[in-house]
Amino acid sequence: MKNTLRQVFRSGKFVTGFVIFSAILLLAVIYPIISPGNPLQMIGLNSFIKPGTYVSVYDSLNTQRTYTFKLPGAAEKRIDSKLSNEDRLNIKDYLLRFGLPEEAVDIEQTHDLLALWWNNYDPELRLGSTIAENRYFARLDDKLAGIFESEDIEVGELDPDTGEYVRKKMVTETDYVNVSDVANVIRLPLGTDNFGRDTFRELVSAIGTSLQIGLIAGTVATLIGLLLGLLAGYLGGVADDIIMFFSNLFTVIPGFVLLILIAYSIDQSQRGVTTVAIVIGLTSWVWTTRSVRAQVISLRSRDHVNLSKLSGHSLPRLIITDILPYIASYVVMAFILQISSGILAEAGLSMLGLGPKTTDTATLGLMMDWAMRYTAHISGAWWAYYPVVLVIALVSFSLNLMNTGLDQIFNPQLRD
Amino acid sequence: MKVKRLLALALVSCLLLIAMAACASGDGDTSPDPGNPSNNPGEPVDPGSVGRDPYVAPTVITDIPRTEVLYINGLQWGPLAGWNPFSSAMNNALAITQDPDGARMPMFEAPYMYNILDNKMYPLLASGGVDGYTWNADGTELSYKIKAAAYWSDGTKVTAHDAAFTWSAGVQYSRDGNANWKAYIADVVAQDDETVVIKAVMENGKAANPLLMVTYLGQQYILQKAWLEKLIDRNGGDVSAIADDTSEDVVWSGPYTKYFADDTKIVLIRDDDYWGQHSSMWGKLPTPKYLSNVLYENNAAGDSAISVGEVDVSQQFIANVHLLWEELGLPISTYIAEEPYFISANMPTAYFNMNSSKPGLDNPAVRKAIAIAVDYDLILANAMTNQSPSFKDVPRSLMNPLPAEQAMYDRNSVSSLQWVGNDIEGAKKLLDDAGILIGDSGYREIDGQKLSYTVSCPSGWSDWEAAMHIVADAGEAIGIEMVTFFPDWSVYQTHLTSAFQDEYDIFMFSTQGISPAQPWSRIRALLSTTFVGTDGNWGGNFGQYVNDEVDQLIAAIPQESDSAKLKEMYTRLVEIYLTEVPSFSLMYRPEKFHIVNESVWTGFTEQGDGRNVPPVNCISGYAIADLYNLRLS
Repeated sequence: MKNTLRQVFRSGKFVTGFVIFSAILLLAVIYPIISPGNPLQMIGLNSFIKPGTYVSVYDSLNTQRTYTFKLPGAAEKRIDSKLSNEDRLNIKDYLLRFGLPEEAVDIEQTHDLLALWWNNYDPELRLGSTIAENRYFARLDDKLAGIFESEDIEVGELDPDTGEYVRKKMVTETDYVNVSDVANVIRLPLGTDNFGRDTFRELVSAIGTSLQIGLIAGTVATLIGLLLGLLAGYLGGVADDIIMFFSNLFTVIPGFVLLILIAYSIDQSQRGVTTVAIVIGLTSWVWTTRSVRAQVISLRSRDHVNLSKLSGHSLPRLIITDILPYIASYVVMAFILQISSGILAEAGLSMLGLGPKTTDTATLGLMMDWAMRYTAHISGAWWAYYPVVLVIALVSFSLNLMNTGLDQIFNPQLRD
Repeated sequence: MKVKRLLALALVSCLLLIAMAACASGDGDTSPDPGNPSNNPGEPVDPGSVGRDPYVAPTVITDIPRTEVLYINGLQWGPLAGWNPFSSAMNNALAITQDPDGARMPMFEAPYMYNILDNKMYPLLASGGVDGYTWNADGTELSYKIKAAAYWSDGTKVTAHDAAFTWSAGVQYSRDGNANWKAYIADVVAQDDETVVIKAVMENGKAANPLLMVTYLGQQYILQKAWLEKLIDRNGGDVSAIADDTSEDVVWSGPYTKYFADDTKIVLIRDDDYWGQHSSMWGKLPTPKYLSNVLYENNAAGDSAISVGEVDVSQQFIANVHLLWEELGLPISTYIAEEPYFISANMPTAYFNMNSSKPGLDNPAVRKAIAIAVDYDLILANAMTNQSPSFKDVPRSLMNPLPAEQAMYDRNSVSSLQWVGNDIEGAKKLLDDAGILIGDSGYREIDGQKLSYTVSCPSGWSDWEAAMHIVADAGEAIGIEMVTFFPDWSVYQTHLTSAFQDEYDIFMFSTQGISPAQPWSRIRALLSTTFVGTDGNWGGNFGQYVNDEVDQLIAAIPQESDSAKLKEMYTRLVEIYLTEVPSFSLMYRPEKFHIVNESVWTGFTEQGDGRNVPPVNCISGYAIADLYNLRLS
C-alpha cells in the first residue's frame, strides 16, 4: 500500500492534478471558515456590480482623521478618469459637425478642447445622427461639468427644525482617509451577480456543493456499476444476460437525455442537491459495469480464484478477497472520472433550468444558469460566468489528470 | 480559334444584356410608373383621387437586403397558424393582436389608433380628428364615419357595413361570441355607407360602460364583410372550423401584408398600393419595405440579437439595459434616456388565496403584515434592475404610476395607509397586536396551528421567481413559514384560474396596464366578485376576494361622469384595498419594453421629441406612426 502510494505520487500528472484539486477543495473548506456569511445573501441593490473594493462614502466623510497629501498630477488623473481618449475623439467629431475647421480642434489640449465644447455644445441642435449619439453627448456634457474645479466642497446637514443646511465639514482636494479607518468597506473580488450577491463567496459555496454532487453521483454510479459488473462477470449465464441486456439498453439511450427526462419529471420543490446527485448517479453506471464485467471475466478463470472456489469460500468472500483487490485500482480511476462527469452533468442540467431548486443553494451550474438568464454576457459582466467556467474546467481537468496519472501506473500496457 | 472568338463574343453580349437588364430594373425602382402613380413609395397620391388596384403578390425572394427590413423581436415565439384575423388561434402576434392598449395594425386596422401617452384615439379607418367620434345626446350611442380614402386590398371601399358585420359575425361565429364586449355593447350598426353607430347596453337608464365602448374603437379590427361571408360560407358556419381556417385569401386594409412565414421567422411586406398614402391619412407609405420577427429560442438569444444589431426594435426585458450604451457604447436606446427607461403601467401583483384551508389568510392583519415586510427596493433592483419607478417614487394604490391615473385619487387622504416595505418591526407589531404570537413550533400560530404558506409563481420566469423569493424571506423574517414553489406554467395556470385551488397561498400574476377603460377595468379585475367562483377564470380576482362595497363602487364608476365624485369613489376603493390587502403589487413594470438599436434605422420615438408617438414596438395602436418617421441611419 505504502509502495503503491509512493509510486502514485511519483507520477507528475497525478501530482499536478492532485495539487489543483486540493487547492480548490481547500478553498471551498477554508474560505467559509475565515470569512463566514450567507453566500446567498443579496447585499447589492444593483445587479452585476463590478469587481473591486467599495468604500462607504458616508463613513469616509465621517472618519475622524483625514490626511493631507499633495500628489503630483492628481488633477490630471481626475480629469483623465472622466475624459477618455475616445471621449476626446467624439468631442472632436461633434465640433467638426458643428462646423469648426479641423485645425481648430486639438484633442491633446484639454482646456482648449473643453472650452470649445462648452462654447458650442447645444443639446437642442441634436447634431448626433441617432438617439443614441445625442444621448451620449448629453451624458458627456453632464460628466464634464465642473471637471476643472478644485474648490473645496462643503458638506452640510439639513436641520429639521429650521430647514437650513448647517455646515458639517469641508472637503478639499488634498484630503485623504485611510481605508482601514473607514467603518464599512466591502471587497468584492468577483463583483456581484444578478441578485446582488457576492460572486466570490457564492462561487466558493458552489464549489462545495458541486463537489458534493459529484461525490454522491460518483459513489452511486460506481457502486451500482461495480456491483452489477461483478455479478455479471462472475456469475455469467442468465444473470450476465439480464444485466447486459439492461446495460445495453442504457448504452443506446443517451444518458443526458434520460437525465433531462428524469430531472424534468421530478417536481422542482423536491429537486434538492442530493436528489439531483442521485439522479445523475443512476444514469451513469453503464460503462463502469461493462468494464468491471470484462475485467472480472478475465479474472474468474485464474488459478487463485479456482483454488479459493475449491476451498469452498462463499460468493461474497470470493468476490471481496479474490477479485476486488485486482480491480481496485481500476475502480478508483473510474470513480474519479465519475465525480468529474457528475459535476459536469449538474452544470449541464442546471444550465437547462433542471438543476437543484433555485436560490436555496448555489451550484456551479445554477450560477451559470442565472448569469445566462440575466444575459451577463451582453452586459459585459464576465465575472458572473467566466470564473465559474474556469472552476468547472479546472476541477474536471485535475480529476482527469489524476486519472491519467493513475492509469499510467496501474495499466500494464501503459507502464514505462 | 474561331470557336474561341465566337464564345468571347457570346460572353460579351451576355454581359451587356445582363448590365442592361440591371439598369432597366434600377430605373424601374426610381422613376414613377405613369400608369400606376400610387406605385411610388413616399409620393402622396393625388389627394382628389381615392381608390386602389387589387393587390398582386410579388414573388418571394430569400435574400432581402438588411436596409429594407425592420426587425422586431419579443412578439412572436413560435410558428404562426395562419392569417385569419377573425380567429384568436392564429398565434400571429405580428399581424393579428387586439389588445386594449392598441391593436397591432400593420395588416388589419381598427377605426382608431389608441395612444397610451395621452390616452387619446387617433383616427385611422375613421374620419375626423383626434377623439373625433361623437356621442348622442343621452350618451347611449357612439358614432363615427369611415374615411373616404379607406380601401381594402382587393380594391373595394371600406364601408360602415364592414364594421357592423364584423360585430354581428363576431357575436354569432367567433369562439367567445364577443363575450368580453357583449356586456357593454348591444350592437354595432351601419346607419349609412359611412356612418357606424355603436349602441350601449343600458343599465339603470344609462350606458353600462361608455369607457369600454371607446376602448372597442382602438382594440377591435374592422374586417371586410365580403371576405367574412366567404369565410363563414366555406366553413358552413361552424364556429370551430372558422376559428381553424388559415385564411390565405384574407383581405386587409393595412400597409403591410403576409410575405413569408416558417418556423424561423415571419416577414410582412409593404403593400405599395396602401390607401393610407392618401393625403387625408399619412400622405406617404411607411419607410421599411419589410417587417420581420425572427423566432428566437428564448429571451437571452433575442437579447444577443439586438445587442449585435440583428434586431432593430425589441420588446423584451433586458437586464441592466443601460450598460449596453454606458459601458459597451452600443447604439441602443430606450424611450426615456434615464431610469426607469420605459413607460411603466403594469403592476405584477401577489394575491392572497382566500380559499386556502390554512389559517390566517382570512385575517387582514396577517396579509398586511406580510405585505409591509417585503423589501420592494430589493425586488426592483434585482428583478427589474431598476427599470421602473419604486413605491417611494409612486406610492402604492390601485393606479398605474402614470400621472393621469395618479390624479384620479386623493393621495393625501390615504397616505397613512401606503407602505413602502421592508418594515419588519412594524409587521411584527401588527401581528403581536392581533394576538398572533410565536408558538412552540417556532413560528407564529393561530389556535395552535402555525402559519405556513406556499409562495408561488411560474417556473423559469426569472424576475418573478426572484420577487417571490424576496416575499418568502419577508415572511420568514416576521415568523411565518414560507415554502417557495415554482411549478411549470402549464400547471400553474390551471390552478391560477381555478376558483377552488388550495395549492398556492400567495401567488403572482400581472395586472392590466393602460387602456381608455383604466383604472376601472384594472380595479374590477383585481377586486370584483364577478370572477369569484368561476372556473377557468382569466378575468381576475384570482384570490377570490369578496367585498360588497367594492362591488357597488365598481358598478357605479362607469356611469359616473362627475370627476370629483369619481375621485371620491376611486379614493375609497384605494382605501379599502390598502386596508384589506387582498393582494399587493410587488413592482411597477413597463407596459411594453421598447428598446431600439439604431445601427440600421433611426428616427424612433423618444421622450421629449414632441411627436407624441407611444413606445410600443412601432406597430401597436398609434405607435405605427413611427414607421412613417424612420430613416436609414
